[in-house]
Amino acid sequence: MRHVTVALAVARKDLVSEWRSRELVPALAQFLVLALVIANFGFSINSDNAPAIAPGVLWLALVFAALVGFGRAFAAEKEQATLEAMILTSAPPAAIFAGKAIAATLLLVLCEAVLLPALTLFFGTPLTLVLAAAVLLATVGMAALGCLFAAMVAQLRAREVLLPLLTLPLWIPFIVAGGQAVQVMMGAEGTFDQALRLLIAFDILFVVLTSLAARFVLDE
Amino acid sequence: MTRYLLAAAGAVALMLVAAAVIFLFTPTDALQGPVQRIFYLHVSSAIAAFASFLVVAVGGAIYLWRESMVADRLARSAALTGVVLTTVTLVMGMMWAKPIWGAFWTWDARLTSTLVLWIIYAGYLLVRRLATPGRQAARFAAVVGIFGFVDVPIVYFSVTWWRTQHPGPVIATDALPPEMLVAFLFTMACTLVLAGVMIAVRYRIEALQDAQPQGHFVLQPAGRPTA
Repeated sequence: MRHVTVALAVARKDLVSEWRSRELVPALAQFLVLALVIANFGFSINSDNAPAIAPGVLWLALVFAALVGFGRAFAAEKEQATLEAMILTSAPPAAIFAGKAIAATLLLVLCEAVLLPALTLFFGTPLTLVLAAAVLLATVGMAALGCLFAAMVAQLRAREVLLPLLTLPLWIPFIVAGGQAVQVMMGAEGTFDQALRLLIAFDILFVVLTSLAARFVLDE
Repeated sequence: MTRYLLAAAGAVALMLVAAAVIFLFTPTDALQGPVQRIFYLHVSSAIAAFASFLVVAVGGAIYLWRESMVADRLARSAALTGVVLTTVTLVMGMMWAKPIWGAFWTWDARLTSTLVLWIIYAGYLLVRRLATPGRQAARFAAVVGIFGFVDVPIVYFSVTWWRTQHPGPVIATDALPPEMLVAFLFTMACTLVLAGVMIAVRYRIEALQDAQPQGHFVLQPAGRPTA
């Protein structure tokens, strides 16, 4: 029970601090829209090729925004030495980690609430419930892994370089399954229910594993 | 010291014998010609690489559980050996793929997951380099090693349901003629010995480095007077 209380308190702290400064979400949302603009110039989007290109653009933009968001969640704490302060309290490290991850997930979901409508607006691809579900399910597992490694690299040198290097290969299962679901939604052959089930399975696996590993990463 | 030299010389000699077996004893493949001889070392080094990464994951888990320095040094040594062997697998695979498939690379499940494996454990080596030596480096690297080992089968299976070009297992399905099977098993044994010797030599180097007094080396730029 105490774990839940601590986790919610940490998450609330992060969300309040983001609400007061309003730095991360507007910047990331702007970045996501900019990524769509770049994709337009890179691919010369028209109504014929948009359904084939949009899934790739969606995941690329999302993955890089997520890296910045998760990296920021721990880098900011580290810069102000509040990470050490939190670890010094009697709060269980796994709960602190869970709280940070919950807040980072919610902030990224806010950015997705900008990205998905923008994708529909600019690329003309459908915005369906399954598409949103696939992106949200992938976000949960990606946030668990991303926050674990963000907590790790915050304590290392060259953290900006190392975070994508460690995180991206571990995110591939989510991109494979999520990418499959989104491609099907945008007109590719196949079914999405297997992909969604896989996403749920990966979410459970990595949320459990990262919670177990959080103790070893946050205990320095 | 001489023990390690002897072991290394023995491993190299074994690999040379394996090369002789591959080129002189085994029959030439009817369909692919001499290129097929890549198979023996390509698959052997892949298996040795997987074995090395298993050592990394198990060593990491034991370190997290018991804080055993032996397990940590073993994981460190095996990671380096595994990355080298994966590089061998990838490069030889590309050399084989070009004449047979017509391209160095396809986004096949086996190829993709092997590349991901390489990237994950290259990241492991970077974490070792960038973390503060000692407890922090050992813990962080152990976490990376374990997650990497969990991730690879997932990547492998999640991609395998959609497309494959790489051939499936030939040993378990009994698809190899006996001479090829014998040559393959011999090469695999030699490669595993080589991997073991590489891990042992690296372990010795890591142990010697751990015994050195800890300190950060700062190179003095030339021409600048010391303060």
